[in-house]
Amino acid sequence: MFLLEVTSEQIFQQALNGVSKGAVYALIAVGYTMVYGVLQLINFAHGEVYMLGAYFAYYPAKWAGYIPDEGGEKPKVPLYFIGVCILFSMAACAAIGMLIERLAYRPLRNASRLAALITAIGVSLLLQNGSQIMFGSDPKYFPRFMDRESVQLGMFDVSNTQVTIMVVAAVAMIGLHLFVQKTKPGMAMRAVSFDMRTARLMGVNVDGTIALTFAIGSIMASIGGVLIAMDQPRLTPLMGLLMGLKAFVAAVLGGIGSIPGAALGGLILGIAESVVGTWSTTYADAVAFVILILVLLVKPSGLLGKTGREKV
Amino acid sequence: MRNALTLLIALAAVTFVVLAGCKDQGNEAGSGGVTEDSVKLGLFVSTTGAIADFGLATKNGADIAVSEINAAGGINGKQVELVFYDIASKPEEAKSAATKLATQDKVLVGMGAVASSLSLTAAPTFQTNGVPMVSPSSTFPPVTEKGDLIFRICFTDEFAGAALAQFAFEDLGKRKAAIIMNQDDPYSTGLANYFKARFEQLGGKVETTEKFANNTSDFNTQVDNVKSATPDIVFAPVYYNDITLIGQQLRGKGVTVPILGSDGWESPTLLKNAAKDLEGCYFGNHYSQNDPDEMVQGFIKTYADKHGDKPSSLAALGYDVVYFVKNAVDKAGTFDRAKVAGAMRNTKDLKGVTGTYTIDNKRNASKPITMLKITGGKVEMVRQIMPEEVK
Repeated sequence: MFLLEVTSEQIFQQALNGVSKGAVYALIAVGYTMVYGVLQLINFAHGEVYMLGAYFAYYPAKWAGYIPDEGGEKPKVPLYFIGVCILFSMAACAAIGMLIERLAYRPLRNASRLAALITAIGVSLLLQNGSQIMFGSDPKYFPRFMDRESVQLGMFDVSNTQVTIMVVAAVAMIGLHLFVQKTKPGMAMRAVSFDMRTARLMGVNVDGTIALTFAIGSIMASIGGVLIAMDQPRLTPLMGLLMGLKAFVAAVLGGIGSIPGAALGGLILGIAESVVGTWSTTYADAVAFVILILVLLVKPSGLLGKTGREKV
Repeated sequence: MRNALTLLIALAAVTFVVLAGCKDQGNEAGSGGVTEDSVKLGLFVSTTGAIADFGLATKNGADIAVSEINAAGGINGKQVELVFYDIASKPEEAKSAATKLATQDKVLVGMGAVASSLSLTAAPTFQTNGVPMVSPSSTFPPVTEKGDLIFRICFTDEFAGAALAQFAFEDLGKRKAAIIMNQDDPYSTGLANYFKARFEQLGGKVETTEKFANNTSDFNTQVDNVKSATPDIVFAPVYYNDITLIGQQLRGKGVTVPILGSDGWESPTLLKNAAKDLEGCYFGNHYSQNDPDEMVQGFIKTYADKHGDKPSSLAALGYDVVYFVKNAVDKAGTFDRAKVAGAMRNTKDLKGVTGTYTIDNKRNASKPITMLKITGGKVEMVRQIMPEEVK
């Protein structure tokens, strides 16, 4: 297809798809960014927490009998039940996030950063393969919480699930921003990320704050997982792999360590991928990594990142 | 001195073992998998992984055929022993299963795989070891081009793509098609190309071909591109786990034209997950459960009694592939692999659950494709397209 065959409406329509895609990247990217902020660690297991978030929302629905074992149309799940699923998933993911921190990263707090990074990759592989054993490697289908319908938004259509993603993600991001900026634990988080040793001297509970950072990052990832499961109801144990990588790119693009940067990076990445897809869906996935390379070449600190000197 | 003696004994032992190994192989040259009272047949399919439904069904079908054959006295007087490997939807597992079957288990024939990409990986190993391989359901044309011992008992994508295009153009009267395909899967891209060639040859137009990568679950970009092309039919030659999401997202964006699919749609989980979104859609398959034929209904009953649900076409092909091997051994009258392969090449008008078929000079089965329609949450047979109908 050539440039001329594509109308500007099509491009705007794709940009709108990109916003809903990017909103989820942003939700996951904040997890990378927050952990990097306090520990200077790339938590590569974060994509797997997103995957677990989707599974942890699936199982309550299964236990409640909303997923029949075989045959027939799935029963429609009452809308309030999604709340149960989300809360369960958020709680379980927060626990998993803290557990990962306690068992895998805390013992290495004073080891070289490379050791922690390799451990992160190890945890990621452990969760991927462990989930294949626990959940099975064949896909699971998430229950229908709402019938997918087309919503007219001016001259564009989006599906109601895409609208849900955008709204929920926006609320979650604003909530996170307020938490970090306006509350005491949020202030502690900022203090630890600014200077861990001084924060400790000032009486901040550093270990508790780091655990909290992991819990909140994991909660955001679990919200992302549930939203994606509602929009694209096929769950596989490897679904976190590409998603995690792209969210990581979004975090680097926005400036790793910066929460507004993660949001901005996610949106830019989502929109870029979708708009490129207007011409070629083949190369849409490659866009994320081309962007990563360009950012690293031109502005390694990212769009909103601080260019500080490396702490020694 | 003592050390030297130990060394000598060890060397002698090694030499003995190696020689014994050689002798063992020499004895078995030519005929495969035969012991005093049994013959080994290999089966390698994926019973876990992304398309596990296919492999499980194939294995269930093959198991039924094996127990029927054994109950009736076996093949050439020998009981059939099925050596099974799960290849977990992974090429490296397919390769290692092929090596194990051909060199360790020394089976007479290897049966598998379902996914064409996995059959392509396994085929050279069987060919170089002189073991015939029969794929029950790999439809990608190049699979049987890997050597003169590689067979299939299903139709090819070349035939299916052309037949589906003809069905869309002539039976449904469609003129503007959009294609959604998996760019990483030769099965999907092959069908898309054959469909496009035939559809445009007949005078229709393919407005857009949308591609996606393995493990994609967000199809919004592709769906919007399809929507702006305003087709009157969407051709989606993809597997059942993808069409579930694609169907839902097409309908979610208000694309209501029928979707036409291929045998990859067949799965017990398709209707469970996508009956509503795929209402009024068509797909081409290897057989229909509504076929009144006695052999078909007999197989369906046996299968349902054993497994509780009706067999998919993958199960039917798994059943047929065992009988295909039996037929060839019966014709050859020996377990000599070369002669069995020769009998396979000459298979003519063999009746199976998936229709009556003849092996052509490219070692492919020439047989009809069954068109099915999804209506009211059920799959119904529309008609069969015969090989001679499609030019």
